[in-house]
Amino acid sequence: MTDRSDRSIRNQWGRISAHLLGGVPLILLGWQLVQGRLGFNPVESVLRWTGRLALGLLLLSLSVTPIRKIFKISAISAMRKPLGLYAALYAFLHFSVFALWDYQLNIRQIYLEISNKPFILLGMIALLILLVLAATSFRFWQRKLGRKWVWLHRSVYAAALLVILHYLLAVKGDLFSLQGAYAPPLIAAGILVLLLILRIPAIQQCLRPTFTQQEPDQPASD
Amino acid sequence: MKEKPYRSVPLEPGEITPKYLYKTRRQFMKQIGVVGLGALLASCAPANSGNPGAPGMVLPGAGGEVPADVLTAYEAVTGYCNFYEFTTNKETVDELAQDFVTQPWSVQVDGLVDSPKAYSMEDILAKFTQEERIYRMRCVEGWSMVIPWTGFPLRQLLEEVQPTSEAHYVAFETALVPEQMDGARSRMFPFPYTEGLRLDEALHDLTILATGLYDEPLPPQNGAPIRLVVPWKYGFKSIKSIVRISLVAEQPPTLWNTIAPNEYGFYANVNPAVDHPRWSQATERRIGESGRRDTLLMNGYAEEVMPLYEGMDLTVDF
Repeated sequence: MTDRSDRSIRNQWGRISAHLLGGVPLILLGWQLVQGRLGFNPVESVLRWTGRLALGLLLLSLSVTPIRKIFKISAISAMRKPLGLYAALYAFLHFSVFALWDYQLNIRQIYLEISNKPFILLGMIALLILLVLAATSFRFWQRKLGRKWVWLHRSVYAAALLVILHYLLAVKGDLFSLQGAYAPPLIAAGILVLLLILRIPAIQQCLRPTFTQQEPDQPASD
Repeated sequence: MKEKPYRSVPLEPGEITPKYLYKTRRQFMKQIGVVGLGALLASCAPANSGNPGAPGMVLPGAGGEVPADVLTAYEAVTGYCNFYEFTTNKETVDELAQDFVTQPWSVQVDGLVDSPKAYSMEDILAKFTQEERIYRMRCVEGWSMVIPWTGFPLRQLLEEVQPTSEAHYVAFETALVPEQMDGARSRMFPFPYTEGLRLDEALHDLTILATGLYDEPLPPQNGAPIRLVVPWKYGFKSIKSIVRISLVAEQPPTLWNTIAPNEYGFYANVNPAVDHPRWSQATERRIGESGRRDTLLMNGYAEEVMPLYEGMDLTVDF
């Protein structure tokens, strides 16, 4: 009884943290927008921030399972889904600002941009994946699709990869000689590679004993 | 008679000219915030809904269906710009460049000239009558402004040093003072910043060396104390804080063209028909307006400068 309520409180904390991580920036962004504090080129600012937040939250969402497995912190597993949903929300806002605010729904111009700028196309494919995953993230679909759901939701890694490529191509400079502000997308790429490595079962087996031994799982008994 | 594409008013030294009225940063930001949000909700507002932050001066030359050009607010001109030697952040560069020392300053003019010379800023301001030029400024990143510069045609300076017959290009170099420039200490870009023009472009009447904007000396972030302004080319051609101008025989290397020649051509003429992999070159965001406006060939100066490029394929030599 105490154990169960304890666990539910822990789960609540996971959920609450996820909503803080995802929701607070949204409120701040909206508030600054209304206040006119987003600088001289507010479209650019909002595009930049929604993009960064989408990628950041996506990577956080992907980090939840490895952290839980390696460090045996079960409380954070409740964060995975809301963080993923927030990532999809920011990606959707990012695209909406591009289409509605920047291009004022001028379909001809939007088509022109998408057709000759590969980075926009990559971003749109990523958005499509994230929206499909968001729509099927509920228990109903999880049950209905069963094994297929797991495979479908692994495409989140493809989405993350596409988002990082989209980011790399959007930076001003030259990617091959690394002249430009490439640090943020490269750090994101590094994190994604690390997350993929951590998915390899053998690596997980190796890491688990090293970390779990140090974790004070039980209260000290005397 | 055809109206000139810019306003040219010679300013006598010491002449008192009325200060431009401009709104405070806060008022301006509030307005663009509200306009922006309104447009987001309506999503179908006309692109030329007016510039809330500008003092209402209209630039002659762009007639017909082209929306009017209104001066961009002083706060935006000086608070939003690229000067990568300080930072890649367009909105913090004004603070970071604040302590940039521009006095004393000397501009070395050399290379294939009969009389090379080092000009002090005092020489330059005394020798060349400063005049006002209101120009559109189009950044390669897809945003634009309308800026009242003070300066003088580059031609006047070049005529003084007398380029030799072998001189076909002009190379420019920005000051590189790493101890005063945070961004220049990182190895992100191969500084010093360099730019170049073909000699006939440099001699064109629209090409000026600017020493001020809005009747004030240039603030550091805008390229103090002296910079190039070539209004029909993307903004990165208008090199800032110039310390050296060299006449050369061959096309000189220029920073962005060296980094990514497929994206930034040597000519870098504003051309809506030559697209960029990142930013739309067909349309632009005018700072202070919501929505986008069409980008004009040669930034609206086609009639004046197209003769320079006769017989050239502008999609190849972009």
